[in-house]
Amino acid sequence: MSGMHLSKEFFELLKAIGESKSKQEEDRIIAREVAVLKKKLEGTKKSGPAGSPGPQNQLATNKKKAKEFLVRLLYVEMLGHDGSFGYIKAVELAASSSIIHKRTGYLVCAACLSPEHEFRFMLVNQMQRDLASSHVLEVCAALIAVTNLITADMAPAVHTEVGKALDHQAETVRKKAIIALHRLHQIAPDVVTRSDVIERLRKVLCDRDPAVMGASLNVIDSMAAVDPIPFKDLIASLISILKQVCERRLPDAFEYHKVPAPWIQMKLVRILATLGKNDAQASNGMYEILSDCLKRADVGVNAGYAVMYECVRTITTIYPNPTLLDAAADAISRLLGSRAQNLRYLGLTGLAGIVEGHPKYAAAHQMAVIECLEDTDETIQRKTLDLLYKMTNPVNVEFVVDKLLLFIRTSQDLYLRKTLTSRICTIAERFAPSNAWYVKTITELFEISGEFVSPAVAQNLMSLIAEGSGEGEDGEESEEADMLLRQHAVEIYAAKLAGPKARLPRVLVETMAWVLGEYAYLSASYTLDDILVKLCEYSTTPTLDITTRKFLITAIQKLVAQLGQCPSHAASVIDAYTKSKDVDLQQRCMEFQAILTTAPHLLGEILPVDASCEDVGVDENLSFLDGFVAEALQNGAREYEKPEDDDDDDDAGGGYAASAGAFKMTPYEKPTS
Amino acid sequence: FFPTQKRSKMISFILMVNKQGQTRMSSYYQWMPMEERVALESEIIRKCLSRSELQCSFLEYRGFKVIYRRYASLFFIVGTTADIDAGKGAENNENEMGMLEFIHSLVETMDKWAGSICELDIMYQLEEVHFLLDEMVMNGYIVETNKANILRPIDLLEREAKTADGMFR
Repeated sequence: MSGMHLSKEFFELLKAIGESKSKQEEDRIIAREVAVLKKKLEGTKKSGPAGSPGPQNQLATNKKKAKEFLVRLLYVEMLGHDGSFGYIKAVELAASSSIIHKRTGYLVCAACLSPEHEFRFMLVNQMQRDLASSHVLEVCAALIAVTNLITADMAPAVHTEVGKALDHQAETVRKKAIIALHRLHQIAPDVVTRSDVIERLRKVLCDRDPAVMGASLNVIDSMAAVDPIPFKDLIASLISILKQVCERRLPDAFEYHKVPAPWIQMKLVRILATLGKNDAQASNGMYEILSDCLKRADVGVNAGYAVMYECVRTITTIYPNPTLLDAAADAISRLLGSRAQNLRYLGLTGLAGIVEGHPKYAAAHQMAVIECLEDTDETIQRKTLDLLYKMTNPVNVEFVVDKLLLFIRTSQDLYLRKTLTSRICTIAERFAPSNAWYVKTITELFEISGEFVSPAVAQNLMSLIAEGSGEGEDGEESEEADMLLRQHAVEIYAAKLAGPKARLPRVLVETMAWVLGEYAYLSASYTLDDILVKLCEYSTTPTLDITTRKFLITAIQKLVAQLGQCPSHAASVIDAYTKSKDVDLQQRCMEFQAILTTAPHLLGEILPVDASCEDVGVDENLSFLDGFVAEALQNGAREYEKPEDDDDDDDAGGGYAASAGAFKMTPYEKPTS
Repeated sequence: FFPTQKRSKMISFILMVNKQGQTRMSSYYQWMPMEERVALESEIIRKCLSRSELQCSFLEYRGFKVIYRRYASLFFIVGTTADIDAGKGAENNENEMGMLEFIHSLVETMDKWAGSICELDIMYQLEEVHFLLDEMVMNGYIVETNKANILRPIDLLEREAKTADGMFR
């Protein structure tokens, strides 16, 4: 195909883009093009002598040029430059009677107009006209435009026509209509409700044209994933359709590389997974077709493997059937053992799916899994991590967590680190072999990816240390085991505090502060004062978060209480914080100073040792003030009078309403002239 | 034990990028502001280029499952994500092999349409490539793979365009 149908200008532009050697060069070319296009647009405003269109005014009269303008605008935006000056032309062209121009107009609108852009709304009338058109291509153009451009407030204007299009005689229209209808439901569920869509879906599923049926499967797949119940009665139909497809009863044109309609098969199998999950009765009806489908797809081409993979996934999702599971495990083994990386990938994902419910199938693949973990292909490595996560049990949890931690340490991918962090939290909590391991592991996790750890995990950790597990290693001597755990934690944290402190994550510092504040006295390696000194030093770090500072101050205060006296380094820190910008911190420190000077013996009560799990007793009657009150009364103070109950709503016209200030209900007298 | 997640999928974007990192066609099924698109396109092609022929055709990028395939100088790249309806935390259950073959089916269709497709064809007829793809993918779903069904309306479109061209000088 040559570029002969293009204008010379456009041809030159494409040539320049094609030959450009750098992004900067490309940017320059596009910037020039933007200037040219803007000039063309301005040209439409000028007119030549005696009413005839001026030389630049061709966009208005020449549709071909207008279309080319828009395609060039599309290039501008595709390559990352702003083309908003030309959007209006796209809206105009969508109104063209020439279908190719109409499509181009809609295309540029869809590609360029953001969901909030007001031009979208300008297209509603055009879409309505096109939906009602007698020309098939115009209806199709409108349905595609609806799917791409409709917003919630536009939906009411088009949904009836879209619904009508579902009965159109052309397959190409019906196929698009069901997708457009679903899109309307996604955007405006009150205009097009779930039941609206489901009702139409039943009919579309049985459409005489397989292409329309195929399109509807996307909608069923999407909606069943949200709520499978309304679709359960379709299972028999879906199975029957799948049978027909597998047995090659669709027209030949649906075949791809010897596999009959592979994507339709995949969708059907996927929907069955959603509908059969946790439903023994529903699953029962599926076993035969799945077995058949799995066998028939085994023809040695990628499309076949894709169908097999989908079958394997469904088999491991629905209510288990031992024969089918064995067949699935067999397929997985073959995929894993393949030399083609893409097939190994499928094997890994398949295995991850099967071991979740049936761990026994993992045993045969241990070596393969280790190999995959060390593969040079990063994708394979990451998939293996997925697999390991699903395979975790109390026996291998330490190994798995070690691997996940390794990847967090070495990866630059923030997304991956975040996912792995939350996964470690999950399995560490569930499968921890000992409390000591848990504390050590979570602490390490805090250190290398603390910014991704949810605060709930820190809370859990602190609760664990405070409350203990309630049972020791042998189920006995729980108090001793708990104490050992606390001591262990304290030693780790005290050592960390003493070591290099380069940018410890917030969650770690806060946890350390709390643990040390509570249990520093358990440390064998450091004295209370040692730890207090370190905490004071740390609290002077300029970049600390306010909450972190509060944790540190509270810890310092606890240790002072335990020491029985306030050393100078602690006193100076507390004093500095009385001038803190945070009012809460100010208050805490001032109160602490006040207690230190006026009632130091109370410190032990206010900041008790190891009492974090005890309820705080509250005396609602404030009986501790009784003495103070009695004394004041004796000295002539007036007794407290509780105000009478005040009824806010009196009956109209009653009591309060009669007094001054009530609303005047009678109209004013007319003015006398 | 593992929380039952909703599983679903949709196509977020389809790209045709050459090995110099120049985008030849882009189609987005979820709105993305321009700066984000530009950044995504350049980073993804870099990732694809950094991988060898022997490695698998799938990768993960910022939560997208990406499937790519190289044809001569052009990379066809599809990014998928969990369907928006399934809500936050839903698992993307894309069938990567199925998507890989869909890319091939797209290329075969374009081949049939253009009589042996090449990068230049896409450049010279950008809007028509979009129209062809619009027949195959809608709202992020694969809607048609039957080549006859795809090319019939495209054929009709092109014939009408020729007539229109003749009428408007």
